[in-house]
Amino acid sequence: MMKNNVYFSYGTFVSPIGIGVDQNFEALKEGNSGIQAHPSSGFNNENWFFAQLNNLEGNRYDSLLKTALNDLKVNYSSSILSSSKTLFILSSTKGNIYNLPEDVFASSRIIIQQETGNSNELIIVSNACISGVIALNTATDFLRYSDYETVIVIGIDVISDFVLYGFQSLYALSDQPVQPFDKDRKGISLGEACGIIVATKEKPTSFSVEYLGGASSNDANHISGPSRTGEGLYRAINKTIERAAIDKSSIDFISAHGTGTLYNDEMESIAFNRCDLQSIPINSLKGFYGHTLGAAGIIETIVSMLSIEHQLLIENKGFNELGTTHSLNIVTKTQQQPVKTVLKTASGFGGGNAVLLIQAAV
Amino acid sequence: MKVLASCFLSPFAAVLNGTVKFQFQDDNWLKECYHKLMLDYPKFYKMDDLSKMAILSVELLKENAYLNNFNKDELELIFANSNASQHTDVKFIDSYTNIGNPSPSLFVYTLPNILTGELAIKHKWYGENTFLIASKFDTQLFENKLKHAQMKGAKHCLCGWVDSKVEKNGTLTQESFLFLVALNEENSTISEELEALFKKYKYLSTEKV
Amino acid sequence: MSELKETLKAQIINQLSLEDLTPAAIADDMPLFSEEGLGLDSIDALEFIVLLESNYALKIADPSQGREIFHSVNTLADFIEKNR
Repeated sequence: MMKNNVYFSYGTFVSPIGIGVDQNFEALKEGNSGIQAHPSSGFNNENWFFAQLNNLEGNRYDSLLKTALNDLKVNYSSSILSSSKTLFILSSTKGNIYNLPEDVFASSRIIIQQETGNSNELIIVSNACISGVIALNTATDFLRYSDYETVIVIGIDVISDFVLYGFQSLYALSDQPVQPFDKDRKGISLGEACGIIVATKEKPTSFSVEYLGGASSNDANHISGPSRTGEGLYRAINKTIERAAIDKSSIDFISAHGTGTLYNDEMESIAFNRCDLQSIPINSLKGFYGHTLGAAGIIETIVSMLSIEHQLLIENKGFNELGTTHSLNIVTKTQQQPVKTVLKTASGFGGGNAVLLIQAAV
Repeated sequence: MKVLASCFLSPFAAVLNGTVKFQFQDDNWLKECYHKLMLDYPKFYKMDDLSKMAILSVELLKENAYLNNFNKDELELIFANSNASQHTDVKFIDSYTNIGNPSPSLFVYTLPNILTGELAIKHKWYGENTFLIASKFDTQLFENKLKHAQMKGAKHCLCGWVDSKVEKNGTLTQESFLFLVALNEENSTISEELEALFKKYKYLSTEKV
Repeated sequence: MSELKETLKAQIINQLSLEDLTPAAIADDMPLFSEEGLGLDSIDALEFIVLLESNYALKIADPSQGREIFHSVNTLADFIEKNR
């Protein structure tokens, strides 16, 4: 099988705790979470917690996308962005949700074309919470097997009454800031963010990681309830390791999904144990950013890249005591540690699971 | 790559491998199709229209038997549409703005990829899943994804274009085009074949037939 | 009470889109959430909470409370009678 190298480098990262990758890294090191109380935000005026961006004007989705693209333009020349050999992929669960019942993806196509001058058809991945990881795997496929030099992957979702009320109706929201994998966890905190990763065939001069492999798998069990055996995640992890052709003992760190619901985190602990990965340091970043849906896989991969660049594991914010039936090696405080190879996982509605492996580029 | 079997559903007719299989009279054409296919899967009624169309389309395709022969991990699902879950999104908004309370069973269908989840559950397919949004039926997008699957060692993909949109006047625009592709054949292109099938099936399944 | 049960059956069919069922096909003591009964799942249980809130102004704060209440039409009717 042909296997050309693919490299990921930072595009940008706009979140409630920072504009740009550097600001986000500083906030993570300081332990600053973006999750705050929002009084009367619920359908019956409940006091929910979520991580919301300030300073988005007009249509908040369009504003966030433009902010991120403007920051991207600082670091990437217009000749790269507008090139016919450059493809854009958008990862989003709900797109410009404020535009319903009209097309929620139309504005993204227009804004990306206007801001970058790129006229290739925008590829849009909408695979619930695993969209980000699927989009990165898809980007790599386009570089390896289609005729592109650069694929720019944008992960974005915003908070809306729609999504907040929806998770409320599922009794999936926590009335405290989210506590992934903790014994007192009560559910998710929502978040909003936009992260961009630039994938290339050529090794860039700036910091990059090498993509080793990725896969997806379906639980084939329930559309909203996680599998009780971790079936899909187990299969996706095994397939990823097989495709990457590495020994799993070389994995230094796992960036998990860890939404903070009772059943999701339990399912992940079962899958990681079935794969015999339970002793590898693992975290969920939801305690910093909340669940950012289609952006999650992208922003969490960016933080994994930061961990590789700076040899620093970030704490699993909100965690005190393990609350899953199977053991996990949760990163309880931010610490220096050799990190070369990272496994990133995601699981979501529709029974989907997606996984990828990255490694420090040599 | 080669199309082994294909089918098309619209509110007017069901087409299988180039032949009109049924025409629908009932306004609730999805329920009519369910009965015509003699399906016994009570969960069907709880699904959104995208999932219903996908489930029915696969039942139609199954008449060719191909679909029964796959290992659990073998079949890759590549689905797309242009309106994501707009139809259910509108219903969900209605549940909390007009009816009284946000409906959990509607909310879980406000993601287009739920339909691939429903297919996976019914047929115990654990393989790779992707759901993409394109402004129109995009043969090049499917061809690219098929090529990627082939390069990664897949042998068969089940692809689908399943769309349901509520128009401004409240009417629905719905269509479901599924095709099973074998990746081990010699042809490296499939775009033209798909374009021709889509056009032909759209014509066969319009009211005029 | 029997009138309430009949109303409930119609409301269940409507709320859960069980289109092919008739109220007569749901026995008062049929276990709604087991495969031998109606085979409902966790999302349906949440819809029962919505049903009770919308039609009977009854609130259930914790979904795990629902398990016993939603066991059958009998238990649902009992709960409504006692609490409204």
